[in-house]
Amino acid sequence: MATYDSLFSALGLKDWCAKGKEDGPMSMADLLAKAKGKDAEPESLWDVPFPSLDTLNDSCAAFPQSRELTKGLEEGFLAVKDNLSLVLDPLTQPLSWALDGALYGMLNTPWWIVIPIMLAVVFLVTKSWKLVLFVGVSICLLAFIDYYEYAMQTLAIIFVCAFLCVLFGVPIGIAMSRSNTMERLTIPVLDMLQTLPPFVYLIPLTFLFSVTESKLYGIAIILYAIVPVVRLTNLGIRLVDKDVIEAADAFGMTPRQKLYKVQIPLALPNIMAGVNQTIMMSLAMVVIASLVSAPGLGVLVLRGIRNLELGVGLVAGLGIVILAVVLDRVTKASLARINATQKQ
Amino acid sequence: MENDIKISIKNLYKIFGPTPDVALEYVKRGMNKADLLDQQNHVLGLRDINVDIYDGKITVIMGLSGSGKSTLIRHLNRLIEPTAGEIRLDGKNVLELNEEELRQLRREQMSMVFQKFALLPHKTVLENAGMALNIRGSKVADFESEAVKWLARVGLEGNENQFPHQLSGGMQQRVGIARALVSNSPVMLMDEAFSALDPLIRSDMQDLLLELQSELQKTIIFITHDLDEALKLSDHLVILKDGEVVQQGDPQDILLNPTDPYIVAFINDINRARVLRVRSIMSRDVDKDIDYAGDLSEKDNLETVLSLSGGDTDKVFRVVRNGEAVGSLCMKALTRALVPSNG
Repeated sequence: MATYDSLFSALGLKDWCAKGKEDGPMSMADLLAKAKGKDAEPESLWDVPFPSLDTLNDSCAAFPQSRELTKGLEEGFLAVKDNLSLVLDPLTQPLSWALDGALYGMLNTPWWIVIPIMLAVVFLVTKSWKLVLFVGVSICLLAFIDYYEYAMQTLAIIFVCAFLCVLFGVPIGIAMSRSNTMERLTIPVLDMLQTLPPFVYLIPLTFLFSVTESKLYGIAIILYAIVPVVRLTNLGIRLVDKDVIEAADAFGMTPRQKLYKVQIPLALPNIMAGVNQTIMMSLAMVVIASLVSAPGLGVLVLRGIRNLELGVGLVAGLGIVILAVVLDRVTKASLARINATQKQ
Repeated sequence: MENDIKISIKNLYKIFGPTPDVALEYVKRGMNKADLLDQQNHVLGLRDINVDIYDGKITVIMGLSGSGKSTLIRHLNRLIEPTAGEIRLDGKNVLELNEEELRQLRREQMSMVFQKFALLPHKTVLENAGMALNIRGSKVADFESEAVKWLARVGLEGNENQFPHQLSGGMQQRVGIARALVSNSPVMLMDEAFSALDPLIRSDMQDLLLELQSELQKTIIFITHDLDEALKLSDHLVILKDGEVVQQGDPQDILLNPTDPYIVAFINDINRARVLRVRSIMSRDVDKDIDYAGDLSEKDNLETVLSLSGGDTDKVFRVVRNGEAVGSLCMKALTRALVPSNG
């Protein structure tokens, strides 16, 4: 006798319940209960179980068990999967090419070309010799302990993903800033993307795409990292001084002129803060994405955990910290340069 | 100077709220501002405004905050759309323009100077000054000479390559004025242009504006809440209260014949001797036999006359315009004019 038997008989649903009876596989809990050889009847009110799907199923077989929920979800997903990947595969293929191309390019260009180019870029965006020196020392340190290749893989993935985040995120942010409806529709999606634990991104993606394709982790990283640049672009444009916008209108700017001559330049500090956040989040995700075959320092961290190689894991972790500091300092310094010209 | 009407505002109404058309009916039937807010939940911005703005003159619209003056000036270039009424610029109804024509009007007919300067912070002073031409498609090289000329005219020679945040408030507003002048539009809208500046700089800027105006003769619509400023600048003064015009006309006239207790309260605290001019109180007859104490220009203010007379109330002065006697002023009349007419 199960707990809620009396309830169903009182409601006169015995017949309906009996109809649902069929020989499904036993759940683990059932097996355990059977092995213990005693019925689940609680002794007192204190032990009454919550009327959950499984408990109700004990009393009335017409109720589905909770495992059917997850099974149904899985089956539903598998049913649409083929059609979905038919559409998504060609759409996302360029991402694979970009990632593979960037990885190939970074690794097959000799170090004595890659490092100077990177330092030149750092100088170009920050105009600070101190930072150039810091970045140079950091990269040389990583190269010296033979982590150069891994670090470059990680960087290549971050560059591609962050670039795509900006490419898509800024226009989405602009669209949000122009229409309140668009903002209302987009914010829940952004909230979901931001609160979903990073591991959860990987689950549906592993079903949709093959683990051997680089776009799998590319999409995971982009979905995770695009949020700040979208949010801050929207915020930045909405925060542009109303008086300046009014002046732009009063002097007869077209909406396009207003966007390019006023709104984007004035929102640039906020947009750059978003880009900084996006890069940092890409770095966080690229480590987790090593679970689905993303190359780079994350693989070493994973190896450290899996094989209990403490030293490898720790050094790789340190390498990630160094990359994080480098990326953060460089983007912050270029942000500061933009801010300096925009003081009001 | 001819007194052509440049802009004519007729029966202009503005009501803020969700259904202004419905509220408009109530307002036309005479509901006042407080009742409209209480019963209809609409804010009355402007009620039945009729103002003619003369070509080549400075028209000052004065009122306290909330009187609708900033709303009114924004109707002229349709930064705010009216609820009812019409605005004619050179006889053409501004409200019938489509988007493209309106943009053309804003680019070529009207320029605007703002209370908070509203310069582009990421552009240099030169680029800011040339903004109007840049919007019309000119490159820096094309507008540079024009922008440099006007920047020099407003006293900003050598600051061309600085950024706005490197300048003081007064200098930033000079850039704002240069920007409006470079656009070369016949109409200039100035929205509390000097209110954010401290008094000394404000006075400098007023002098600068008057100097520019005597040279350029643009049609200027100037908004202010400061009566002294209004009296100093205006050729035509419009006084607004709660979205309605209380009195408009020649400022001297308003000062001598206020029609509303609101205006009387306003003009009680000002220095009449400084504001009133000889031409407003002189008598038109010139008697050749009287022994005149001296000659005055009709533009002199009474303060100058007082110091000239040395406090002697028996003196009579002759008023001359271009070397020709046009009237006389006896000190007794002057003293009478200094006493405010308190209803």
